[in-house]
Amino acid sequence: MAEFSWEVRSPLERALVAGPYGARGDAGVSLTEIRNFDLVQVMARRGKAADMAGAAKARFGVAAPARPEAVQISDAALIWSGPDQFLVLSKGGKHAIEQLSQAFASSASLSDQSHARVLISISGAKVRAMLAKLSSIDLHPASFPIGAAAATSMDHTSVTLWRGNDRTDGQAVFNLLVFATFAESLWHTMLDSAAEYGVTIARSEELA
Amino acid sequence: MRITCPFCGERELGEFTYLGDAKPARPAVDAGEDAVFDYVYLRDNVAGAMSEHWYHGGGCRAWLKVTRNTLTHEISVVEPAAGVGAAKVGA
Ligand SMILES: [Zn+2]
Repeated sequence: MAEFSWEVRSPLERALVAGPYGARGDAGVSLTEIRNFDLVQVMARRGKAADMAGAAKARFGVAAPARPEAVQISDAALIWSGPDQFLVLSKGGKHAIEQLSQAFASSASLSDQSHARVLISISGAKVRAMLAKLSSIDLHPASFPIGAAAATSMDHTSVTLWRGNDRTDGQAVFNLLVFATFAESLWHTMLDSAAEYGVTIARSEELA
Repeated sequence: MRITCPFCGERELGEFTYLGDAKPARPAVDAGEDAVFDYVYLRDNVAGAMSEHWYHGGGCRAWLKVTRNTLTHEISVVEPAAGVGAAKVGA
């Protein structure tokens, strides 16, 4: 049997060029790809939604999101992704699929999405103006507060969008998960949308 | 046109895919050829309120049952289709 040497690479390896982009001056939008995360899809089995909710409470100490929202705990985020299902986003392996499988063994099916999605954090003074070109979701602070989430589409591409905690400078942060194979396309679309405001492009290993 | 998904809230039409008439029910195994033919091929061309299946593929990926007026596009009811969400199915 042939030996394969797998090299883990971001789907944005080629497209993402760190540094300034678009209009000069103070950047209105920051686009940061966050790499090397653990992402697990948890979906209740038939008739087991209540059991799944109980298992989530026991495992994470908080109720799993039952409506479009992202619940932040100290070392993970539980993000609603549809009826009776949510995503567990974390780093460092503590909430990776192997660690969660026991807790949900009798209530939910798990699917490792760690390498199937790209995570992009979007912030800056012009973040809402930029996202308004791509999304029909009302992202006004009154409608989309910290912790709000949406399973929606941008540029015909399914995304999971949620608002994280504000940056230390008070700027709102929008996190976005997109399928790996669509990430480069959406990335270019986001650059086009943000160019007029000036963009700071970066990579990070830290969850926002 | 916008559809208010019972799980996601109001969303643009582009997030949804239309399947068709939600009325036809699969006939019993012994129902006979005519009943199966009717189920597979025959559809009413409704002018007015119609029950339809829509798929929120650009959002929560749930199947929905939508009551839409085919003359005005007015949507009066949106509810989860049978079996949507493991909780709705029962055992
Ligand atoms: Zn929906």
